[in-house]
Amino acid sequence: MDPRSPLYQKEKGIMKKIGRFLSSMPFAITLLVLLAAACALSSTIPQGQAFETYSAQYGERMAGFILALRLDDAFHSWWFIGLSAFLCLNLLCCNLIRLPALLKRVRAFSDPDKASEANATVEAHGEGEPREVFTALHMPDPREGKDGRLFAAANRAGFWGAWVCHLGILLLILGFALGQMTAENYTVYALPGKTKPLENTGLTVRIDDFQTERNEDGSIRQYTTRLTVSDPEKNISDAGTASVNAPANLFGYKFFQNSTGWGAAVKVLKNGEELQTDTLCAGEFIPVKDKPELVVFLQAVYPDYVRREGTGPASASDEPRNPAYLYRVYYQGEILGMNILTQDEELTIDEYTVLFSNPRPYTLLAVKRDRFTVMVLLGGLVTLAGLAMAFGLQPRAVWAARGETGWSVYGESRKGGVLFRDSFLKAAAEAGFSIREPKKNEGGNE
Amino acid sequence: MLQAENTIFTIVAIAYFVLTIVNFAFVILKKEAISKAALILQTGIFILHTAALIMRGIGAGRWPMTNQYEFASSFAWALCLVSLIFIRKYRFPVLGAFSSPLILLMIGYAALQSREVRELMPSLRSSWLAFHVSTAIISYGAFGVAFVLSLIFLFRSRIREDGFWGQHIPQAEKLDMISYRSVCLGMLFLTLTILTGAIWAEQAWGSYWSWDPKETWSLVTWIIYAVYLHLRLRRGWKGKTAALFAVIGFVCVIFTYIGVNTFLPGIHSYA
Repeated sequence: MDPRSPLYQKEKGIMKKIGRFLSSMPFAITLLVLLAAACALSSTIPQGQAFETYSAQYGERMAGFILALRLDDAFHSWWFIGLSAFLCLNLLCCNLIRLPALLKRVRAFSDPDKASEANATVEAHGEGEPREVFTALHMPDPREGKDGRLFAAANRAGFWGAWVCHLGILLLILGFALGQMTAENYTVYALPGKTKPLENTGLTVRIDDFQTERNEDGSIRQYTTRLTVSDPEKNISDAGTASVNAPANLFGYKFFQNSTGWGAAVKVLKNGEELQTDTLCAGEFIPVKDKPELVVFLQAVYPDYVRREGTGPASASDEPRNPAYLYRVYYQGEILGMNILTQDEELTIDEYTVLFSNPRPYTLLAVKRDRFTVMVLLGGLVTLAGLAMAFGLQPRAVWAARGETGWSVYGESRKGGVLFRDSFLKAAAEAGFSIREPKKNEGGNE
Repeated sequence: MLQAENTIFTIVAIAYFVLTIVNFAFVILKKEAISKAALILQTGIFILHTAALIMRGIGAGRWPMTNQYEFASSFAWALCLVSLIFIRKYRFPVLGAFSSPLILLMIGYAALQSREVRELMPSLRSSWLAFHVSTAIISYGAFGVAFVLSLIFLFRSRIREDGFWGQHIPQAEKLDMISYRSVCLGMLFLTLTILTGAIWAEQAWGSYWSWDPKETWSLVTWIIYAVYLHLRLRRGWKGKTAALFAVIGFVCVIFTYIGVNTFLPGIHSYA
């Protein structure tokens, strides 16, 4: 299209308007307020529950409303992601559109030839020594410009604070989004001595040991798992230790000590002869070897079993003093029975006998690989740097020009506002200058 | 050591109460000498309070900020610290008169909590604990002072310029600027809090952000103050509107600290 054509100019004008709107402050503030409100509201609604749960808590109508608006999974809902996407767009447009003006401003700020009375936010006049004002305000040594003018500028990096902060937030949000889409998350749990596959990775995890460290008062101090991760195809292994706050890093995956529970050894006899042995964690099942349609499910292990009226089976402590095992038996998918077996009891089903023994804790490890964690961390650090620059570095310029009746000293610091003004006036008064209100005193802040 | 800390904390709590009474007397009687005495008293209480926290840390064998009592006491300490810094830096001694009731409320809340020292659970045994919680305490202290300054700003227009308060409370523009500086300090430390919390969460739980209520409300607080900072750039929106957001922001801080623990428990429940 011909850039001189009215249609091109019209389209260019519309694009400019859209760009200006997307980068505008009111749009940013609106998005931020909506996001804050969304976060606040969503935090009060239990996430990931069924209709029946919401219905019991809030009534059927409200439950329907919650599910329709995806408030049950608010932080992954289309509207929350949409708001976040718009925020990213706002940050990107803001940074891109304002960059040329920012560069121009930073260059102009430290150019002594561009410093003029019109830019000053404060000024003073008299026969005093202007270098004393520069010193009192902790300015760098002034340069001598044309006409004998003195000029010094400090903290120019402060102009970049907001821009860098926006960049950091953008990196952070993008890193988080990409991480959510691509991260791998697995769980592996087993009793010591057992090897389990790490789903979809081709790796296997063997739990070599699991220890619980206690304090003097009996409370838990630390959980530690020793594990070996292997790649059967490449025939390589690597061992490590995972404890709370100290994950193991093996084969590019992080293994986090996440939880623990109880498991036990299980033995199946057929007509008194040992058929199979295994270990099960609570929540696992074992099909009988030569009759796989017969399944024994270990629902729970109570290391110190007590029966309490009204509350059902429980464990009085986490010491295996009086172990009991809650199980279910299935045949061809249908439940046959459910009961509790204590230490010396057996479960008999036709010619099969099932015994549980040796209750002990199992370890549950959360396994994760997120390639974008570094990007999120970088975004966080850049945001922090941007804030430190924006808040800690207040760009200011001081210049002095010799006139017929003495020196005129000017100061400019829009960020410093009234506080810079007060410091300047105090320094000027101490150096022997008198105060005069500038002709154009904006006193705006950034 | 813990017994001694207990005693000193009680003395500190009573001293803050006395400080509030002295400041109240200053507000009623409008005598500068009372204000000066209050400032000296506040400085002395701060030193004693610092000693109490150090003794708590030594007695417990860890940083004194792992339960409600310790955090509330530290929060009051941070409020006192930031208000003293701002009183001296901006030559605004009257600030103490308005910040002492807030400090008293926080120390009162601390006094109601259990002071039992318990062993830390595994997830709290990390060197990140000190960084994460101390940055939160400083940020909350700064936001508390900004809250007080914003309230003063909102009522500034009702003060006669030639009256006692007109001469002792800075002009609206300066109040706005000091409040802004306090919010900046709080914002910087809140960002550090969220960042260190995320790093720690990643180490402990394998996830740097899980939309846990505490995390979510820290973010809400951060956003509210981000709105405040943006509002100050718009002519016509800075001043009263910005001050209102600083007040709302502190309400969010209090909800994040107390409300979330009470009404929205999550994986941060020990805090």
